[in-house]
Amino acid sequence: MKKHLTRRGDGALIEMTSEEIMIALEAGTEDAADRGKIAPLSKDDLECLLDIFMDTNRVVSVAHGEEVVVTHDIGTLRLMGDQGNSGVGIPLSRLQGIQVHERAFCSDTMELGHIDYSFKPVKPVIAMEQQEMESALLSTIIPLFYGAMPNLGTYYSPDGPFGNPSDLLPAGKVKEAYEAQESAVEHATRDMVYVGQKLAQVGCDGINFDTTGAAGDADFKATLHAVEKLKKTTDLTVQVGMAGEFVLGMHGGLEYGGRRLAGLYCHDQVKLAEKAGADIFGPAVNTKPSKDMPWNLARAVTFVKACVEVSNIPVHVNMGMGVGGIPVFETPPIDAVSRASKAMVQIAKVDGL
Amino acid sequence: MEKAEYMEKAAQHIVDADEEAVEKLAREYLIEGFDPIEMIEKGLSEGIRKLGVLFDRGEIFLPHLIIASEAMTTAVKILEQAMPADQVGKKLAKVVIGTIEGDVHDIGKGIVATMLRVYGFEVFDLGRDVPIATFVEKAKEIGADVVGSSALMTTTMVGQKALEKALKDAGLRDNLITMLGGAATTEHWAAKIGANFWAESAGDTVMKLKEIFS
Amino acid sequence: MGMLIAHGVAAGMGGIRTAGDLVARMQMTRKMRINEARAYVATKLKISPSDLSDVYVMREVREELDIGIITSVPGCAKGIEAKARIAQLLDIEIASVNRLKNKINF
Repeated sequence: MKKHLTRRGDGALIEMTSEEIMIALEAGTEDAADRGKIAPLSKDDLECLLDIFMDTNRVVSVAHGEEVVVTHDIGTLRLMGDQGNSGVGIPLSRLQGIQVHERAFCSDTMELGHIDYSFKPVKPVIAMEQQEMESALLSTIIPLFYGAMPNLGTYYSPDGPFGNPSDLLPAGKVKEAYEAQESAVEHATRDMVYVGQKLAQVGCDGINFDTTGAAGDADFKATLHAVEKLKKTTDLTVQVGMAGEFVLGMHGGLEYGGRRLAGLYCHDQVKLAEKAGADIFGPAVNTKPSKDMPWNLARAVTFVKACVEVSNIPVHVNMGMGVGGIPVFETPPIDAVSRASKAMVQIAKVDGL
Repeated sequence: MEKAEYMEKAAQHIVDADEEAVEKLAREYLIEGFDPIEMIEKGLSEGIRKLGVLFDRGEIFLPHLIIASEAMTTAVKILEQAMPADQVGKKLAKVVIGTIEGDVHDIGKGIVATMLRVYGFEVFDLGRDVPIATFVEKAKEIGADVVGSSALMTTTMVGQKALEKALKDAGLRDNLITMLGGAATTEHWAAKIGANFWAESAGDTVMKLKEIFS
Repeated sequence: MGMLIAHGVAAGMGGIRTAGDLVARMQMTRKMRINEARAYVATKLKISPSDLSDVYVMREVREELDIGIITSVPGCAKGIEAKARIAQLLDIEIASVNRLKNKINF
């Protein structure tokens, strides 16, 4: 039986027959359907995915005319940053980094971001961020976001004023953990709105809330409140990108618009982002390193397709290391990346990557 | 009530994190003269197993897990009153766990620690950004059966390799199991640095350790 | 960087090399889904939607409309100049352009 080259979820090259690939695709889509209580991929969709995996070319692509918008997060840290940001350590200014993305990498949008990439540390250096944004806006053409993470972790000890739920919960201090998270929501919302409004003053095109929900449901709640306020008080475009496939219930009781946040998968998350006023939503679906890529990609496409179908705003799926069917490997193989791209565009029908 | 019904109810009370109900049930069960160990193994543990699945699917949340673990502890304490002395307070194994030096991401590690406690392991959670020497000292001090480390960043993973070496240098490595996890890590990485196993999630950690220590 | 470029090659519109920035602006300012955004921009540019990511077509269109091109050509609109023309062409508000207009309307 002919074997086809594909990848394991950790990036290793493996071989699978077309029958094995189809079995993995079916299992992946069923897992997503079961967890998310959504429809599995159709037989046609699975056949299309199988074709993508059986293509012997190293790089595959969408058909002419089917291309989508490709946006970038993490600012220019990919160029200038250290390994922790998957950066390649080129000593450039942030303005140069943005221009390189515009003119050398042909990005459709770009963003400015602080070295820490969290909202809280931006507050004391906001004037510097405004100045950098102003310079970038004068000399570039593509839309410019300001990107940062809500990162509620920075509001808990040892970095912030409130007790850390990760310490309080195991100690059985459930009430205290609730209170800490509720306080952090208020403070983070205020800080994110402050940063957003300051950047709107200098003509920034949009704000990208990146890896939302990374610190649990409180993280997502603060973001939604900040989005709502920014949409009411500024002309900023707001993009909300998620950290994981469901909202981790560190609190469990937090709600937005009468909906409990913990446990929501992307097709539910997008409706709340929409309600808050977000313009673009970025779902994230985790890759399991121990499973093969057909299983992971079928699973990710199933979740994202359900999200795209219910959404009324553009959906730009997160497609980095360890999300969107892409292997958990710092420099993912391009055969895997291009297959994931193609599948998300052709089958999930995303509006952007 | 039949014994089987007690088991079902015990599991359900744990899933519901209903401490009062499971406490009452445990007392009634002892009055009936049934085997207390059986209730722990077939009733309460089944509830915990179900909770693990629900947590992994995002259907229950961390505070619920904590409250359920407290309900489990309460029920076990009551059942222990009728157990042979050598079975009381018995833990599956001693586990030292922490997020590796330089890494402050501890939500996932905290969940693993909680799940392990719920499943009957004695857990020593060293917290976040834990120096390699602290892992070694603690393992030595308590006679750890397992040392687990978490790394969420590609820059901090290297600490897990250093931990393997430090445990070897301290003469502890052959007498304990090392496990690792965290978003940046993979099975390949665990094998490469000589760790005993890699776990993909909190549920996976529990399953693998239970297989070794049950 | 390889991943970013691989996405661009596999499925990206091509930024200012083609019409990626223009389509992105319609998603951002009017919450348009991809097909609607493509159709809107194509109508404004008087080309077909499938030509939006064709560099052969778009190089000429961008040069003719003077909305900024990828290579450094002396005299072509750059930076905010190009964005001012894009705002007019697409009939959208661009905050940095409005800010400049407010500064010079004294």
